[in-house]
Amino acid sequence: MPTTVLIVDDHAGFRGFARRLLEAGGFTVVGEADDGASALAAVETLQPEVVLLDIVLPDIDGFAVAERLAENGDERVVVLTSSRDSADFGQRLERTPARGFIHKDDLSGPALARLAADAP
Amino acid sequence: MNRRLLVVLALAGAVVIAVAAVLVAFAHDFQPFGRAEKLAQVATDGIWIVTGLIAWQRRPGSRVGPLMTAVGFVEVTQQLYWNAALPFTIAELVAFFAFPIWLHLFLAFPSGRLQTRFERSLVTSTYAAIVVFSVFSQLSWDPRSDPHSTDCPNCPRNLLLVHRYHGLWSALGTAGVFWFIAVLVTAAVLLIVHVRRSSGATRRALAPVVLAAAAAAVLLGAVLVASAMGVPTEGSPLLWLADAAFAAIPIAFLVGLLRMRLHRSAVADLVLELDSLASPAKLEGALARCLGDPSLQVAFWLPDAHRYVNADGDAFDPAMPGRALTVLEHDGTRLAALAYDAALVDEPELVEAVGATATLALENARLEAQLRAQLAEVRASRARIVAAGDAARRRLERDLHDGAQQRLLGIRLALRLARGRVSGGDAAIDELLAAADAEVVGALDELRTLARGIHPAILTEDGLAAALSVLARRAAVPVDLTVCRERLPAPVEATAYFVAAEALANVVKHAHASRVSIDVARSNGEVAIEVRDDGSGGADAGGPGLRGLRDRVEALDGRLRVESPATGGSRIRAAIPCG
Repeated sequence: MPTTVLIVDDHAGFRGFARRLLEAGGFTVVGEADDGASALAAVETLQPEVVLLDIVLPDIDGFAVAERLAENGDERVVVLTSSRDSADFGQRLERTPARGFIHKDDLSGPALARLAADAP
Repeated sequence: MNRRLLVVLALAGAVVIAVAAVLVAFAHDFQPFGRAEKLAQVATDGIWIVTGLIAWQRRPGSRVGPLMTAVGFVEVTQQLYWNAALPFTIAELVAFFAFPIWLHLFLAFPSGRLQTRFERSLVTSTYAAIVVFSVFSQLSWDPRSDPHSTDCPNCPRNLLLVHRYHGLWSALGTAGVFWFIAVLVTAAVLLIVHVRRSSGATRRALAPVVLAAAAAAVLLGAVLVASAMGVPTEGSPLLWLADAAFAAIPIAFLVGLLRMRLHRSAVADLVLELDSLASPAKLEGALARCLGDPSLQVAFWLPDAHRYVNADGDAFDPAMPGRALTVLEHDGTRLAALAYDAALVDEPELVEAVGATATLALENARLEAQLRAQLAEVRASRARIVAAGDAARRRLERDLHDGAQQRLLGIRLALRLARGRVSGGDAAIDELLAAADAEVVGALDELRTLARGIHPAILTEDGLAAALSVLARRAAVPVDLTVCRERLPAPVEATAYFVAAEALANVVKHAHASRVSIDVARSNGEVAIEVRDDGSGGADAGGPGLRGLRDRVEALDGRLRVESPATGGSRIRAAIPCG
């Protein structure tokens, strides 16, 4: 099971709770980023195995970040998350190269581990 | 207008024509022309002078009359060729001037003014070239011993001869011919451009001239071809026909001018027509017919806004290059401006007469145009209000999502963490945490529903089709959805969405329907949204929900129709223009 994770979200409060929740679930949170650009930079330097990526970000959105990572040939696990319903994103979720989507309501260590363990 | 000048010129013309006719009839033999042919040319010159003077008298402000008269005088002067030294010298001096005057006349007709800088340069340089050429050749040409052209020992003396130098002719000969052809071709092209670009009054004036000139050119070509093939043309019907065509050119110029003037009688028709005019556009049409210029435009003055609008009430600037402008006033108050073909400009008094005749109608039309402009302004501001409302809704949805919702989510995660820590411990605390979590879940659900109702994020992100399919999936009634996939302008998408959402909400709340269908189709530049159900009917079309929808749809120039008979089944249909 992958253990290192980067949390990308523009809400510091959410990042704090998510970090504690995922650490309680057995993950090692190696870093946090609060927008798309710093997420790409953090992936480069921290090399996490999993990226938990909020969709609505202040600069480029999570879909765009996932696409950039895929374009770079990066094969690490990217999991999109949002407080909106998956239905609210329509077909964009079907088209994204990210591994999966997890609603913020449902976020937990085991839930993330299950998605990360799924074959791409 | 200087009437005395015209009388003097008329008398001078009569004398010159008579003298030329007598000289031609009784003096020398002519080569290569016959005597009758020569007389026909003199008659044509006379026609130029007569028609030119009539044009001058009718259109004193235009150069067309003087130019036509000048053509006649210059041409007839050449008929004095063979006789005494003085007329001979004068004839030789002015012989080539007919060319630039013709050029000037053709290019300046019918306004009397050369329109472009290029035309002005062409005509000016042609005049200058002919002056230089004529003066130099006259100072150096001895007709009695010219080895290059007619050797004419019996010719009268050239009074201006200073030094015999026939080299000038050969030096200029070839270059001169090429230059002449180049100018001729350029002029022909310019004339074609004139005809193509002109409209209404100008075209009507140009038509007879172009027709006569083309006929003359074709017939002259035929005569030249016949001569070249050795067919004798002297006295032939072909030659007479060509002469007649040339004589018709000045008449064509005059007819062209008079056709423009004929519209004066149309003012009387206008007076009769004005009574029955209902709209600014019809008034514009009547004025255009009256002035004989279909391109005429009326600009109505809005004193409050301090700008012009057209008949439809749209902003309009009547000052355009190549167009003449007459501002019409009544009691010192500006009413309107007429923008029309610059060729009409030489009859400002006619335009003013038309304007004065139409004062009352113009004032009425101006008020109507003003009303239309205000209506357009109100429409635009209504659309802006809707757009501003949509923007505010989008911001509100975003704020709810970013603010309260994120905090509630944080609480949920914290509760989940806490439950993890106490699991297997105090059952009462665990129960309490579970209850708190359920409350937070409820709050989040309500918040999401509220945000979605304000403005669904998917509408902005993925468009109407995606937003409606989410709406249909969440509805408590089965929905058959048919929707075109293409993206539409944001205000149209938002309005169409809210029509469907409001109608669907009404169905769920009141209609007890078993099925609903939503159809969105785009055709003929509009989007039609139709929501139908098989429920109880009897919806109140004047209720606040539907009233608000109607306002929204009408703000985009659309229409909303509600059919909800008490017998059951409802149909709400909105049509919104979308480019």
